[in-house]
Amino acid sequence: MVRAALSSPKRFGHAPRPLALFVPAATVIAASLLSALPIVSTSGWFPDFGYLALISWRLLRADPWPAWWAAPLGFVNDLFTGYPIGFSIALWSATMLALDLVDRRTLWRDYWIEWMVAAVLIALNEWLHWRVARLIGADIPFSMMLPQLLISVCAFPLSAWAVSRVDRWRLGR
Amino acid sequence: MATARPGWSRRAQYGLFFSFLAVIAGIVIGLILLAVSLIAPKTFDGLRGVALDVTGPVATALHEVSVTAQGLVTGADDYWDAARQNGELKRERKAMLQRMVEAKAIHQENLQLKAALQLRQRVRDTVATGRIVGSSFNSPRRFAILSAGSRDGVGEGMPVRSASGLVGRIVDVGDFASRVLLVSDRTSIVPARLLRNGIPVIVQGRGDGTVEIRPLEVGRNPFRPGDIIITSGTGGLYPPLVPVARVVTLKDDGGIALPLSDPATTSFAIVEPAFEPTAIAAEAEPAADTAP
Repeated sequence: MVRAALSSPKRFGHAPRPLALFVPAATVIAASLLSALPIVSTSGWFPDFGYLALISWRLLRADPWPAWWAAPLGFVNDLFTGYPIGFSIALWSATMLALDLVDRRTLWRDYWIEWMVAAVLIALNEWLHWRVARLIGADIPFSMMLPQLLISVCAFPLSAWAVSRVDRWRLGR
Repeated sequence: MATARPGWSRRAQYGLFFSFLAVIAGIVIGLILLAVSLIAPKTFDGLRGVALDVTGPVATALHEVSVTAQGLVTGADDYWDAARQNGELKRERKAMLQRMVEAKAIHQENLQLKAALQLRQRVRDTVATGRIVGSSFNSPRRFAILSAGSRDGVGEGMPVRSASGLVGRIVDVGDFASRVLLVSDRTSIVPARLLRNGIPVIVQGRGDGTVEIRPLEVGRNPFRPGDIIITSGTGGLYPPLVPVARVVTLKDDGGIALPLSDPATTSFAIVEPAFEPTAIAAEAEPAADTAP
């Protein structure tokens, strides 16, 4: 690529940002913190931001963080969102494992497959929320979870896009 | 765990294996913690309080911004419609004055009757006032975050109300913020009665911002759309005579009502001491038992 070599050296000085290793985990924590926004929702139709960020990162890259980080990240999410402590720790770790298996099984990936995997994971997340709430005594019909399930699935492309931008930024591309 | 096969390096293979073990350990720890928080919900109160204290001030600060923005919009809207609103308000004021005189008379009479009956009632005073600065976004549970905590004297189980009606009950307390179980949460049950005829009813949340109402006695459906439900004070957790909800639709054995105090538009919420403090201690016991 002679032409590329002769073109202006625009790409000099481009390197991963400092602390690039920690940026993905930091964005997940930031997404969990979105629940501190002063929005009072009476219907609870907002997506689970932390989980969306987690699966977006994990679907974009195989190694956004060491797999065991999912547990502390989930702990932070539990604390800030008010879920029963342990819920996100278990679910997020299991998600990391499940996605490793998916990585081994899938021969090729495109955007639709990723969206489908994300949709399945999101549905699982909502279903588990519903189960746990039932255990505590809040037995609402599952149909009430459907709106937020749809909204979360539709929000996944947005989160995946945002995550890919952050990834490019952190790697200095 | 990055790739399925890290190559021939022993070290990389071990690394892969140990990270696999670490993830399994994460799942197990998570499940244990989840089981603990389901069986003994009070275990992590301290931690939850700290998290509330971290997010509470941020939410409070941002709340001012969003309220200001909303105020600008509604303020402009009010100017647009000033003449008609003015007329309406004047009419309302006239009607209200009349009602107020009636209410004062009734109050007087009530005082006399109570004195005659020598009815004892605790004086209700305010523990703290705070703003509702956030809520649970994505879960079947309905919580709100209140910008008042144990430094202001807020304690677990205290009822929270706003000027327009009952908001809920405190479940987690931090130093500067606390979490409120809203009336519309599925696990919230409020003993109440119909304002119109005093029929005792039960108000249970439905998890979507509305509440379900059922009469305590089986029989004809006593509700009419537009009926106001007020707390009865039975059970001692909630003070009596606080408006709770307005009936909107009827069902076979009850109805669906909208809480009168919409936490989304409530600016200030008042924390009151538990109506009968002993009720909270009594309530804590069976709650721990029923959780599986």
